[in-house]
Amino acid sequence: MTKAVSGISPTRMELIRLRQRIALAQKGHDLLEEKRDALMMEFLGLVRRIRELSKETFGRLSEAHRKLSYCMAWMGSAETLQATLESRKELKLEISTRFIMGVKVPMVEGVRTERNPVQRGYSLHTSSALLDETSAEFERALAQLCELAELSEAVRRIGLELERTRRRVNALEYILIPQLKSMAAFIAFRLDEMERDNFVRLKRIKAMLERREGGA
Amino acid sequence: MREDVEALFLRELSRLNSHLPKKRVTLREALQNPEVELADGGKHRFRRSELEFLKSLVPEEEWDSLRLPVLIELDPKLGRGAARIRGAAECRVVARILGKEEKPELILYLPEISELRGKLPTLTDYFLTA
Amino acid sequence: MPYKIAVVGELETVMGFGLAGASHLHVHREKTETLRKLKEFLSDPEVGLILLTATVREELAEELEPLHRLEGIIPMVLTIPDHRGYYPAVDELERLVKRTAGVEVILK
Repeated sequence: MTKAVSGISPTRMELIRLRQRIALAQKGHDLLEEKRDALMMEFLGLVRRIRELSKETFGRLSEAHRKLSYCMAWMGSAETLQATLESRKELKLEISTRFIMGVKVPMVEGVRTERNPVQRGYSLHTSSALLDETSAEFERALAQLCELAELSEAVRRIGLELERTRRRVNALEYILIPQLKSMAAFIAFRLDEMERDNFVRLKRIKAMLERREGGA
Repeated sequence: MREDVEALFLRELSRLNSHLPKKRVTLREALQNPEVELADGGKHRFRRSELEFLKSLVPEEEWDSLRLPVLIELDPKLGRGAARIRGAAECRVVARILGKEEKPELILYLPEISELRGKLPTLTDYFLTA
Repeated sequence: MPYKIAVVGELETVMGFGLAGASHLHVHREKTETLRKLKEFLSDPEVGLILLTATVREELAEELEPLHRLEGIIPMVLTIPDHRGYYPAVDELERLVKRTAGVEVILK
């Protein structure tokens, strides 16, 4: 038997209470299992999406870098750097929060991209078609990178919640419920024992009384 | 040890659905203000593009009856890998999205749940029920 | 809420995203300096996204561990390949998948 013997009086009341706790733990376990499964599904969906998107986005990024190298070779590194410094650095992201089964996750909306040369701000005499294209490539990559960032944060947090939920499910299934059940079994056994003892005692008393009557 | 496990578990059970909004909003309300407040205080934002997508699938008469987020009910009694959708307008639009037969109450299976979540990630959420 | 973009990496990466509109730029030269700048970006309430090249990230690996904040989801931090395309084969995602889902998960 378990060490849960101490402090629990083997009464009928206690047994009933225990059975209620077991039922609750069982119900909770089933619910948490559902939560765990749903989180796993979300997690895998995010992983899949991230892998696809990474491939595409990183490809786009290397394309952008290629354009940048051409640009630097054509215009000169100093000129390109100059243009970077002059570029009106205004790109802003709308970031809000959303939730997936209680897990807080960032959301990026409406990334403004494809600013025209006038908006971009570098003085027109240094601008060239190549510079324009380069900027546009990086802007396009940026839009996808924002989505990737969102998904990466989400997958990390969902992963943590999944781990937590899984631990709870296991604690219930392998620790709490078995302990409660064995306590209940022990009490049931003791109650039976006490009843048998009682029964035997009554029989003896009865036999004694009958002998007395018989003798009188 | 047993005490800890049980106490933790009871706390978890009590806040199992606290991630859901205090009060869901209708599609019309969401189009105006794409945000809901959750029972435990956080703010959940609906993605504009998803609202636009949903709007195109729902007749205007239903904009005041369809409530968001659409709840995907996880009920252990349904068995693992299954979920329920309730609500006339909700079921109609979900059936339309998944290409299923329209019914007043829908039972979805894993791949369908996955597809729905993929198409409306910010307009749906899970609800754990016993 | 509108947020700005920060970039930390080699000159080419910083230039590219600078052209695209990132406002908080830092070219990595020296470890402690970069670390300081990174912490600055992380605590700047205006910054919503930090792009970090894989090379810098690897160089600063140990110091970055404790910085992995949990409560605030802003700013988001994303590791990107550097201008030569360097990106680790087994990245954070792969490690997370293995830890969370175990080796049974093979997604194509």
